[in-house]
Amino acid sequence: MSHTVGHEETHGGGTGEIKKVTIILSVLTIIELVLGFWMIGMESEGLRLAIKGAIIILMLAKAFYIVGYFMHLKHEIKNLIMTIVVPLALFIWFIIAFLSDGNSFRNLRNTYDPYFKEQSTIKVEKKEHGGSHGAAAGAHADTTQHETKEAVETKH
Amino acid sequence: MATTTTATTTKLWGGGKSPFNVEYGKLMMWYFLMSDAFTFGAFLISYGTIRFSTNGWPDPNEVFKSFPFAPEGVNAPLVFVSIMTFILIISSVTMVLAVHAGHNMDKKGVVKNLIWTIIGGLAFLGCQAWEWTHLHHEGAWWGSNPFLNADGTASSTNFTNYFFTITGFHGFHVFSGVIINIVMLIMTLMDKFEQRGHYLMIEKAGLYWHFVDLVWVFVFTCFYLV
Amino acid sequence: MSNEAVVHAHGAVATHEGHGDHHHEHHHHETFITKYVFSQDHKMIAKQFLITGMVWAVLGGLMSVLFRLQLGYPDATFPWLEDILGKWAKGGRITQEAYYALVTTHGTVLVFFVLTAGLSGTFANFLIPLQVGARDMASPFMNMLSYWFFFAASIVMLSSMFVETGPFSGGWTAYPPLSALGDASPGSKTGMDMWLISMALFVVSSLLGGLNYIATVLNMRTKGMSMTRLPLTIWALFFTAVLGVLSFPVLFSGFILLIFDRNFGTSFYLSDIFINGVGALPNEGGSAILYQHLFWFLGHPEVYIILLPAMGMVSEILSVNSRKPIFGYMAMIGSLFAIAILAFLVWAHHMFVTGLNPFLGSIFVLLTLLIAVPSAIKVFNWLTTLWRGNIRFTPGMLFAIGFVSLFISGGLTGIWLGNSALDIHLHDTYFVIAHFHIVMGVASMFGMFAGIYHWFPKMYGKYLNNTMGYIHFWVTLAGAYLIFWPMHYEGLAGMPRRYYDYSIWESFKQFVELNRFISTVAMIVFAVQLLFLFNFFYSIFKGRKVTSLNPWGATTLEWTTPINPGHGNWVGEIPEVHRWAYDYGKDGKEFIAQTTPVGADESEHH
Repeated sequence: MSHTVGHEETHGGGTGEIKKVTIILSVLTIIELVLGFWMIGMESEGLRLAIKGAIIILMLAKAFYIVGYFMHLKHEIKNLIMTIVVPLALFIWFIIAFLSDGNSFRNLRNTYDPYFKEQSTIKVEKKEHGGSHGAAAGAHADTTQHETKEAVETKH
Repeated sequence: MATTTTATTTKLWGGGKSPFNVEYGKLMMWYFLMSDAFTFGAFLISYGTIRFSTNGWPDPNEVFKSFPFAPEGVNAPLVFVSIMTFILIISSVTMVLAVHAGHNMDKKGVVKNLIWTIIGGLAFLGCQAWEWTHLHHEGAWWGSNPFLNADGTASSTNFTNYFFTITGFHGFHVFSGVIINIVMLIMTLMDKFEQRGHYLMIEKAGLYWHFVDLVWVFVFTCFYLV
Repeated sequence: MSNEAVVHAHGAVATHEGHGDHHHEHHHHETFITKYVFSQDHKMIAKQFLITGMVWAVLGGLMSVLFRLQLGYPDATFPWLEDILGKWAKGGRITQEAYYALVTTHGTVLVFFVLTAGLSGTFANFLIPLQVGARDMASPFMNMLSYWFFFAASIVMLSSMFVETGPFSGGWTAYPPLSALGDASPGSKTGMDMWLISMALFVVSSLLGGLNYIATVLNMRTKGMSMTRLPLTIWALFFTAVLGVLSFPVLFSGFILLIFDRNFGTSFYLSDIFINGVGALPNEGGSAILYQHLFWFLGHPEVYIILLPAMGMVSEILSVNSRKPIFGYMAMIGSLFAIAILAFLVWAHHMFVTGLNPFLGSIFVLLTLLIAVPSAIKVFNWLTTLWRGNIRFTPGMLFAIGFVSLFISGGLTGIWLGNSALDIHLHDTYFVIAHFHIVMGVASMFGMFAGIYHWFPKMYGKYLNNTMGYIHFWVTLAGAYLIFWPMHYEGLAGMPRRYYDYSIWESFKQFVELNRFISTVAMIVFAVQLLFLFNFFYSIFKGRKVTSLNPWGATTLEWTTPINPGHGNWVGEIPEVHRWAYDYGKDGKEFIAQTTPVGADESEHH
């Protein structure tokens, strides 16, 4: 276990680079936040979706900088990079299959479960204690649950 | 592994040394993090699946809009969580600096930056504790969700269920990261690494800490932004 | 994490940069505890895994005998059952609750404890350092922890059988809502909590082990042992470890969500539920299908976690005992790799009829059927390895050939089940039971037996008794087919799995005799496994002594160690490797060991 390992090949990992990456990460986060603020109260569903997509791309960029520079992967031997990055490709099908089946499950329920469909169209009255604390909120949550319970029972 | 200098020459995979020129501990740490990435991945993908199979979902800006010591009914969406995010990014930077100092056998630098990292981690945990307490006061907890969907319909409890489970699991990782960093700090102060002649342990602790930061990038996006 | 400190203290033993140092000389005094109990020697840990696995195999096998007794003789009573099972067999007949508990525990124990821990735990630990040329695993300490986490998991699982409400009884897949609601069945109360704790400990054990196997194979190979010179056992065990490290965490996440559903009032998997006697539950918005996705994201790779080590060992044993190089070495590695990748892409073929989107299902059909390609490559390569070989029918070799036979028979029905349209009829029938027991259960057991018979001389310095070995093989092979072949017919006739009594069904009354036949064979096969166990333990102490270093005339490195290697494996330097592991019958020589330098006039060299 000689300590020469990890010493010699630190080329490219200097403080300059750390500073650079810190700035990049901060800028990316600020852009994300700006996009987030922009989305507040936005009506257009299409634009919202586009912004969400942009935020996810920025998230992946941040992940790249953290893994590549902070975790130093960029400066490792190519084979090590491959053994880390290639298995991550499994996430692609993992995500696609899970989310599309989730979506399909919603369609199923909207088609065959009238109760489910109905619940998602009835507007509940805006609760008076939006920002306030207190036990009332918890109690209210409980009563909502009881109401739903009764609803389920009548359904059955 | 005394053959570092020949690392880039021919027989990388020929046996008798690490093909990656990395000691086994670091390799194991990387593969452990891969494994952990699948744990968090599974959580976040489950969250996505449930969200996709539900008609409405609460607007995060309506839920996460308060700030410590601010007056009642303050409307400051995204502000508090951006502070948490920056705390974690900065603590990640100090961790890199600690690792860097370790490479240069700079004990003082290691100690200084590790302390900053630990403080950053504790600050993050403090923020999270405040946010959880606040949400709990509003009536949010596992199995109870006081918030409405963005379109005004009743929301399922899975919004809060996932929020508390995933941020809780992340918080647990931050907590264990802080413990690891404290152990590293003590070992540094006891000159363990000076005796050993290298600070490779700090590097492994650093990998773990950055991973925690990495997960937060995803949690932050999934719960607070989109 | 914090144990890294300790690990490093032992680092000097673990790494081997100092070829030819005095590592092996450390005769520090070993007590009984450090040698047999908290041992850090990979060979001892392998034996611990093996023997714990055997205990579980006997318990799991016994459970199957008990529920086969119910299936074969649904109307009979056996007073002695009440003596051993108490209230679980009131009046000498196993109760319905006990029946489901037995089925569930049999599945869990055989899949995870026997065929995962007992198989890859044993042979990865035993063979990886010996065959790559390392003194021990990368981290012997973590290796030891891996075993003890498995041991703890075993204890918790064992204790769950003795709680008041009985062990978990909702099937080894533990689908919610049954598994999530204590009110749903007695087995879903304390028994399920312990089941989850046990499985969580098991995941930790498998992670600790898997990380070690990967790091050792990559980092600790001896000089000259390039990846393409590794025996196929090592390649298979390597991919097994990768599968475990990447898929068990997903199961772990699924279990955590299940724990929250059970204990903390969440509804991740629960929606619209009405329990008889309790009423409607408040849970809304969850999806039970989500659990199945998470479970099978592990569950399918798990099948290959079980199968790949057997494949690797069979490849090695077939080659050694045919006295021929393995046919298509690179194709074997390629197909292992393809299987490892595909294992992660096909999980939803276990869920075709759960409400999965049919279009998504069709993609899963395509990906599933693709697995037939690498599987067929492997089968052809095994057969061509045997072709015109100078075959020695040792018990190990017979079990290896038996593995190939079972893998073909069971694999072919997999192509049927992989079709979502056929699955509408075949799902949850005895056809499925027959398929996975042959291809995954019995085939992997055969791989494990092959490995035990082949490497027993290395493990204990003794031979197993051949006569008992032959009896063991022939009865088990015939028995396996006699048990599971008829189940295909039952399944095609629509007989569903997991039922307590089929004699009350008009359509399945015709199978009463057949079920009785299956149960009888199952008991005979179980008895023969006891003969094997006797052989195993008898031979450890009284078996014929191994007198030569290399009794099978094999090329691999483990046969260059002393007959009873100590901790550190080689006396003196770790040998250097000069060739691949399959130089049999080359240039007129019967075999050339990996350590032999390449001769000047040697023909084409790998």
